[in-house]
Amino acid sequence: MRHRTTPDDDLLRLALLAAHPSLSPQAGAALTLRLVLGVQTADIARLFLVSEATMAARLTRARKKVVAAGVPLAIPGDDVLADRLDTVAKVAYLAFTAGYAPGSGPDVVRAELAGEAIRLVRLLRSNNPAAQGNPSLIALEALMLLQHSRRDARVDGSGRIVLLPDQDRTRWHRAEIDEGMTLLQSLTGGGAARLSSVLAADYLLQALIAAEHARPARPQDTDWVVISDFYRQLDHLTGSPVVRLNRAVAVAEAGDVPAAFALLDGLEDSLGRSHRLPAVRAELLRRTGRDEEALASYRLALGMCGSDAERAALQRRIDDLG
Amino acid sequence: MTKYLVLLAGREGEWEAATDEQRAGWHRDHLEFGRVVGDDILGGEALAGTDTATTVRRRGGKAELTDGPFAETAEQIGGFYLVQAPDLDQVLAWCELLPEIYTLEVRPCIEVDLSA
Repeated sequence: MRHRTTPDDDLLRLALLAAHPSLSPQAGAALTLRLVLGVQTADIARLFLVSEATMAARLTRARKKVVAAGVPLAIPGDDVLADRLDTVAKVAYLAFTAGYAPGSGPDVVRAELAGEAIRLVRLLRSNNPAAQGNPSLIALEALMLLQHSRRDARVDGSGRIVLLPDQDRTRWHRAEIDEGMTLLQSLTGGGAARLSSVLAADYLLQALIAAEHARPARPQDTDWVVISDFYRQLDHLTGSPVVRLNRAVAVAEAGDVPAAFALLDGLEDSLGRSHRLPAVRAELLRRTGRDEEALASYRLALGMCGSDAERAALQRRIDDLG
Repeated sequence: MTKYLVLLAGREGEWEAATDEQRAGWHRDHLEFGRVVGDDILGGEALAGTDTATTVRRRGGKAELTDGPFAETAEQIGGFYLVQAPDLDQVLAWCELLPEIYTLEVRPCIEVDLSA
């Protein structure tokens, strides 16, 4: 009998089991945090904004499914493994973004839990050659490092969320930004041909955008032309209305307001309930001197917005115009 | 080894409406599935259409019959395989061999002890 199993492979096996595609991504994320990283159920519940009892039931259901369906504790062949690592990446990013999701206000513990997702990807990549070279995991690690590096600047002294242009950039974690940049170079150095999947390309473009935001010392030095080109690629890749909206913002920041207006066409169908669409439209109207229409659009956005930080920002705009 | 039921669901009439060439391709897929899975196929059948189905519900000791399947959905079960495998991944790998027109549902079977 051969003993090829190492503790490192065990970790990958466990991650592949917990993030198995036969589970829902939410269940997979919860199970991964519990089984692979040992995060307590109460903390996972906090992360996903549900009660501890609900999370305990969700974990029990996921465990039961894994056992009853016969999900193996095994590393599949290379052809399947790349797909499965994409699922692990999705699950890790879901856990990460849950940590930063608005709705519960700023919360240091939740930022720490977002850090757990980074720890997971780091552990997997440092211990297994297939995971180490997997473009989705590399791009995701870069993306998460770049976003996470801003955690201490996202909240001000009184606990309010600070938006990106207003953040104190000296509070960004420079070492993490540098590490994210280095990871990105390892991916883009050999050209885009090395990307194995749509997911890898998606994470890479998001990471490149985060890197462009992290680069300049002052927000006014941001290279919006480069950012809007990354958004254009991301828009074509994903077809996501949220990406389209962010692209419109970037295009406007780059100076082409008419093109930004054109990008908003047709977004009402998918984003009709989001305050961000009228907020962006208001901003574009303001820039073209259509103050009355801008004011109406800001007021519409304010009525739809649930986040205190963003409501305050919208109210400031309304006061400026009124 | 666990037994798994693989339910093959699809839009009714899709097989009949297909070209001879498409049907021949799907037949080849089933033959390949049979060749690869081999003795681990414990059973399997193609079913006649849901217009031939009779649904039986028993309430208060009385059988109530209705014409048609138990649920009216866009996709209906058109056949099944019963296979045995060491784990789900093995079954999922085998499923890749089956015609793409199906939506597949894989369900593990549980052991029921009727002597107890």
